[in-house]
Amino acid sequence: MADKNEILEEHISSEYKYGWSSDIKMDSAPKGLSEDIVRFISKKKNEPAWMLEWRLKAYRHWLTMKEPHDWAHLEYPKINYQDIIFYAAPKQKKELASLDEVDPELLKTFEKLGISLEEQKRLSGVQSTIAVDAVIDSVSVKTTFKETLSEKGIIFCSFSEAVQEHSELIKKYMGSVVPYTDNYFAALNSAVFTDGSFCYIPKGVRCPMELSTYFRINTAGTGQFERTLIIADEGAYVSYLEGCTAPQRDENQLHAAVVEIVAHKNGEVKYSTVQNWYPGDKEGKGGIYNFVTKRGICLEANSKISWTQVETGSAITWKYPSVILKGDNSIGEFYSVAVTNNHQQADTGTKMIHIGKNTRSTIVSKGISAGVSNNSYRGLVRVSKGATNARNHSQCDSLLIGSTCGAHTFPYIEIKDKSAIVEHEATTSKIGEDQIFYCNQRGIETEKAVSLIVNGYCKEVLNQLPMEFAVEAQKLLAVSLEGSVG
Amino acid sequence: MIATKENKATIPAQLEGEFQTLLSKTFSSEPEWLKEKRKEAFDSFCQTGLPTRKNEEYKYTDLKKIFSGNFTAVHNESHALNFIPAPIAEGSIRLVFINGWLHKDSTLSSKLPKGVLIGNLATDGLLKHADFLKKNFSSNEDALSRLNDALWTDGAFVYVPENIRLEIPVEIIHISTGKKELLSSPRHLIIAEKNSSVSIIENNISVDTFAPMIINSQTDIFSGENSNVQYYRLQNDCRNVSLISSTHVKQEKNSHFDTNTITLGNEWTRNNLRIDLEGENCESHLNGLFVTNGTAHTDNHTSVLHNKPNGQSNQLYKGILDGRSTGIFNGKIFVERDAQKTNAYQSSKNILLSDDATINTKPQLEIYADDVKCSHGSSTGKLDEDALFYLRTRGLSEDSARRLLLYAFANDVLNTIKNESLKNYLEELVNERLEK
Repeated sequence: MADKNEILEEHISSEYKYGWSSDIKMDSAPKGLSEDIVRFISKKKNEPAWMLEWRLKAYRHWLTMKEPHDWAHLEYPKINYQDIIFYAAPKQKKELASLDEVDPELLKTFEKLGISLEEQKRLSGVQSTIAVDAVIDSVSVKTTFKETLSEKGIIFCSFSEAVQEHSELIKKYMGSVVPYTDNYFAALNSAVFTDGSFCYIPKGVRCPMELSTYFRINTAGTGQFERTLIIADEGAYVSYLEGCTAPQRDENQLHAAVVEIVAHKNGEVKYSTVQNWYPGDKEGKGGIYNFVTKRGICLEANSKISWTQVETGSAITWKYPSVILKGDNSIGEFYSVAVTNNHQQADTGTKMIHIGKNTRSTIVSKGISAGVSNNSYRGLVRVSKGATNARNHSQCDSLLIGSTCGAHTFPYIEIKDKSAIVEHEATTSKIGEDQIFYCNQRGIETEKAVSLIVNGYCKEVLNQLPMEFAVEAQKLLAVSLEGSVG
Repeated sequence: MIATKENKATIPAQLEGEFQTLLSKTFSSEPEWLKEKRKEAFDSFCQTGLPTRKNEEYKYTDLKKIFSGNFTAVHNESHALNFIPAPIAEGSIRLVFINGWLHKDSTLSSKLPKGVLIGNLATDGLLKHADFLKKNFSSNEDALSRLNDALWTDGAFVYVPENIRLEIPVEIIHISTGKKELLSSPRHLIIAEKNSSVSIIENNISVDTFAPMIINSQTDIFSGENSNVQYYRLQNDCRNVSLISSTHVKQEKNSHFDTNTITLGNEWTRNNLRIDLEGENCESHLNGLFVTNGTAHTDNHTSVLHNKPNGQSNQLYKGILDGRSTGIFNGKIFVERDAQKTNAYQSSKNILLSDDATINTKPQLEIYADDVKCSHGSSTGKLDEDALFYLRTRGLSEDSARRLLLYAFANDVLNTIKNESLKNYLEELVNERLEK
């Protein structure tokens, strides 16, 4: 078992790749939260009065709420909201006419992340490209491929831009899926959100490329509060990707995002996340608190929303991407891989709310815990009365690596319709010694065997990711778990 | 799971005064240590009050509704019973309790093997074996158990010494009866020492119950090294009865524990079943079946704590729900860091027969050891249409085909009962119940 320890050691010492920070001139708000800060943010963004009004309502509601501490299988100190910078934006001159005017330091940042905005530009016209909306700290810095998309009538822009230019759509949909009263962090987000992505796919349009937002927390002491709103109109289709990283810092930074998805008749939205926020060091110091509310609604018949997530980062993940299946025959899917190591804690899962007839949902969750981490699946499947022939299948598997971590499963199943068929299965186990032995016997060294087995274990989920992301996710898994089992 | 702290403790108003009355009258001759325990328990109950639905453990079960009535915990009427049910198992030792008090018709066989004690807690336990009782009296965390710790009146006391295998089953019959709204608090204590074995049947029924009743019962079971304990529970009270049944089992090395909870009656039932596997190589089997209709509410909570290596636990809970009834299954498996090589399984299966019935299940795993096999499954659905069709083609009427399938579904649980006469008795009862 000597090599086991060695390998574990190596794994534990494997560094966070995206831990650098960029020296970009930032424009920040003073620390702390008050009505004035909310007004400040709104003013900075030059928002219309109704938007400010909404923010203030959310803020006042937030004041009446309590930070949730008792139900999730998580432990974290009370967050001091007065010690957070709620607004930080790269300083820039007015409108950018072309990419050349973007701060070169910023471009470098994204290049380091492997998202070359330049590259994107040069490659335009080539198939299988991705339109990127890059969000640094709180503000969207650049959206690529806007023109190509707008030819088809697709709107893909930063949230602030949408507030200015597509206020009708924002007014109609914002808060319709996640109202500001929803939960503590959603209320906080509604009050202080700074930017995010907005995406609208018009009737009958199939978005020709993957849309992507890249989130990066850069400034120390900031919180990132972005809001994403995706609308697929009748018969529309879009695949949307989200990636996140943050620099290595000793203090905990808060990320409280809200994502809302609306799918109309025959519409389909596929939302994929590769979350790689800084997880803290091996003593559990620092790291991002990832408290995110993600919810989609299949508003009308035959619509479909699919969530795929690969969660490897964050000190704490608290996230339940959900689907409300309101339209008849609508489909909800949730595929998740959550890896925790060292002192990471994850409490993640999904909610599938069946309201319409013949609605179907699938949940596949794979948890992998190592180090002294805790990894929980928490999910709800609710079949409301009248949701005739609802069908759900859930599978939640946990893999434990080492004897100091924990893996937990908390499924809630509530059924009020006799025609529903709901199945839930969960298993917890470690990597089989015989599996490793078999690989060894075939000349595959232990470390590779583990990677092979883990990848196989997650395959069901990884297969759901778009090509480009699948590769990244696989690499990420390999790095996160590099030989952590002997 | 950390229980949610209540902001305001809700305590049924009459309890405070009644507790004082009970202390000065009913419990006045009890030893001091016990009275102290009662006071302690009552104080801690008053601090937390009744758990509300904000408490994760009571998310689907509203206690306020049950405790809102004008019940009394002070029992001062005597009941003449003209009906005592026939024994389920031939020649069994029978302990009959009425509203939590021993009934004179209990048959205490004198032919017991040497050292075996079977009697009631209030007299046999307290008078003859007080020291022994003091040692084995546990107090529990749950608020309802705390309430029983404070208010318990009487119940079965079964002690099987080392190396004794008690072949005759013990029947504990609890009868609810009367015209007054009562809160009864029976309490049973079962101790099986090293290498012993015992089989117990607890049967809850109602006879002439004309007012709403709450039974808040507590059972403590100690299963010593290498012992074998079977505890079968039949809950078949009438619609006036709300039954809370909390059971705490402690198992030592190499012990084997079986339990079945069959709920066929009652308006409202809450079962808290907790098993601590405190030694290596323990095995426990927890099975349950409930068949409900009307507005019945059945809530099965189990928690199995694997504290030591090589433990095995198995849970199978099945429900058939009709009418506007509600069923809940919340099973927990905890595997502590030391409990390597644990093998734990949990399964909850339910059939809804009506559009107004509801089932909430929450099978949960909390695992801190890596070399374990733990899994759970939950499924809820309707009767298999193909199977139904097959039976129809074989000439069965739709009704009998449906009943046959339901019976087959329920039988999985009944089949795990090792006591033949009880099994036969229950098979008949379930069949009868399904015909309704």
